[in-house]
Amino acid sequence: MKRTWIMVVAVVAMLSFTASAGTISGKVSGVTGESVVYVEAVAGKTFPAPTEKPVIDQKGLMFTPHIVAVEQGTTVEFLNSDKVAHNVFWPSVGGNKKFSKNLGTWPQGEKRAFKFDNPGAVPLLCNVHPEMGGYIVVSPTPYFAVTDKSGNYKIENVPDGSYSVTAWHEGAKNSSKPVTVAGEGKADFTLTK
Amino acid sequence: MRFRGPLFVFSLLLLTFFFATASSFAIPAFSRQYGTSCTTCHVDYPKLNDFGKAFKDAGFKFPKDDESFLKVPPVMLGAPAQKELWPHTVFPGTIPGLPPIGLRYNQFFQYTPASANNYNPGGSTAGPNVPRTDFESGLFSIFMAGNFGSDIAFWVDDDLSVSGANSNGGLGDGYLKFVNIGRVFKLPTDSLSLRVGQFELDLPFSQARSINISPWDIYTQANIGFSGSQNVNNVFALGDAAQGFEISGGHQYAGYHYSLAIVNQNTSGTSSGAPNVSSPGGFFSDSNYKDIYGRFSYRFNLEKDSASRHEVQAAGATGPRDHTSLALGTFFFKGRSVQRIDGDTGVLTAREPFYRFGGDFSFNYRTFNLFGLYMYGHDDDLLLNSGATGFTPGPAAKFNGGFLEADYLALPWVMTILRYDRVQSSADFLSQSGGVNYFSPVGSTRNRVTPGVQFLIHANIKAAFEYAIRPQQALVYDSNGKALNAFRTNTATGMLEFVY
Repeated sequence: MKRTWIMVVAVVAMLSFTASAGTISGKVSGVTGESVVYVEAVAGKTFPAPTEKPVIDQKGLMFTPHIVAVEQGTTVEFLNSDKVAHNVFWPSVGGNKKFSKNLGTWPQGEKRAFKFDNPGAVPLLCNVHPEMGGYIVVSPTPYFAVTDKSGNYKIENVPDGSYSVTAWHEGAKNSSKPVTVAGEGKADFTLTK
Repeated sequence: MRFRGPLFVFSLLLLTFFFATASSFAIPAFSRQYGTSCTTCHVDYPKLNDFGKAFKDAGFKFPKDDESFLKVPPVMLGAPAQKELWPHTVFPGTIPGLPPIGLRYNQFFQYTPASANNYNPGGSTAGPNVPRTDFESGLFSIFMAGNFGSDIAFWVDDDLSVSGANSNGGLGDGYLKFVNIGRVFKLPTDSLSLRVGQFELDLPFSQARSINISPWDIYTQANIGFSGSQNVNNVFALGDAAQGFEISGGHQYAGYHYSLAIVNQNTSGTSSGAPNVSSPGGFFSDSNYKDIYGRFSYRFNLEKDSASRHEVQAAGATGPRDHTSLALGTFFFKGRSVQRIDGDTGVLTAREPFYRFGGDFSFNYRTFNLFGLYMYGHDDDLLLNSGATGFTPGPAAKFNGGFLEADYLALPWVMTILRYDRVQSSADFLSQSGGVNYFSPVGSTRNRVTPGVQFLIHANIKAAFEYAIRPQQALVYDSNGKALNAFRTNTATGMLEFVY
């Protein structure tokens, strides 16, 4: 009986160890401003689409926030807070022009939503105000983070394991590297434009 | 005035070209203030899109909620609450947070066929030689515009140099516009504004914001007689800057629009004023009379959706765009040309009323714009009588003509243009020298077809090309009516321009 209890405790301990939430942290350098770091798709693993709907506002002839990171399958709402006409379109998703989309025009105070099912960076544009630009970075996993302005980031709740982690920055080439998480993983990136 | 001849008229045409194109502007100052691109207001600058028209109508402000778009806050010249103290304080206003300065430079390359030099009939007179090819520096201009608060807008532009010569330019427009002063009289919004200063008349199609390299010929048409026995000597052209004031109302992007201007009379091209009468800015008029210009137009926005139809821009399936629309308009100008001639009994003054009137239309569908204008001009002509003691009525000098132009924005950075200009002028016939018509064969004065294409290298850098195709002309015909020394003045012109 005593041996049985020891076995149970050992199994529970092992399970809790393998399912423990770790972190990936590091710094993105070589560029200034916010970047996005995310864990690439994990073979054989899928994640439920989040129910939360982040809002990107068009206000003062700007996309606010300028960069938004979401998980694949997320529905993003686009709000027009300006008293001028805007639209939202993107010429590609992750560089793939097949996923280009134009959402049209809608008046001040109204929103239009779109579900992003394909991972990659989405450059947001307005076809009457070409200076307006924003980005949605669609992460294939729920493990992602937007860096602070110094480039520091921390992705939390990442199960232990081996992953490929990618850093993205506006106008820079993506950089990916393998990371092993065992409670904690570290990955620094140096991006170039 | 005996020196008139081909050289004089050719020079006049050249000057007309430079001055008529001297004030085409886009406003980088607004880009800086609002942090927005030229294309927010322009379709291939300086041509305005619907939003640009609304911005201009509003006194160089966003039509709604202007403050929220300013990236550079204006400098307060008094707290807003000072309004409550007025008239015991200066009414508070603002100035732009950045000096609202824009600069513009352009340069040209031109090709003209050799036969253009047949312009000198018989080669008997050393006239201007038109080079086959020519590199030309154009204009370096400065312009400032903005809003001082309280809906008072301002504009000043000046050519710092023309054709590479310093200070050879001059003031283009300089005015204050008091927008929507009708609110003082409880009139409908935007039904009454007042503009005071020097400005381009409220032309159906602004020459100042034309995308063409060469101006529309009808706007530069003056009624100038050639022979000394004829006294039609009116240098006024509709595209000239005028000094005076203008009331206006309505909108350029939808519904009605009107303007009525009282401006200086100057048909001789020289100003008046005796040296013993001082004037702070010098005299511009050459007579007591003031000219009148009026315009009325109505634009029908043809969008099916009512909400979209009444907005500044239409809401298309792929984003905001200019309305599908049809605009119809009419205009008139009335003046009285004054000429003073030494007669036997002293100075004789001939007062020759003249008028211009016409109509215009503009049809827009997405990025295609077809528009045109027709104008008729009429100058009474007084002839010095045989005793040089007075005048007798002569044949009126008339002209008519206009243009038809199609602009198609093939890509957001590629504009294609096809235009037809025509001016038919009896004044040109009156200008006959030795029994021949001056400008061109009888019945075909100043008509041309001009295709063009323009490329926006960036939103503020443009490469433009046009080719003016003119009919064969001649100055002299033989007894059988055959043209001698016939020539064509087909002209290919390229332009590089940038504003910043």
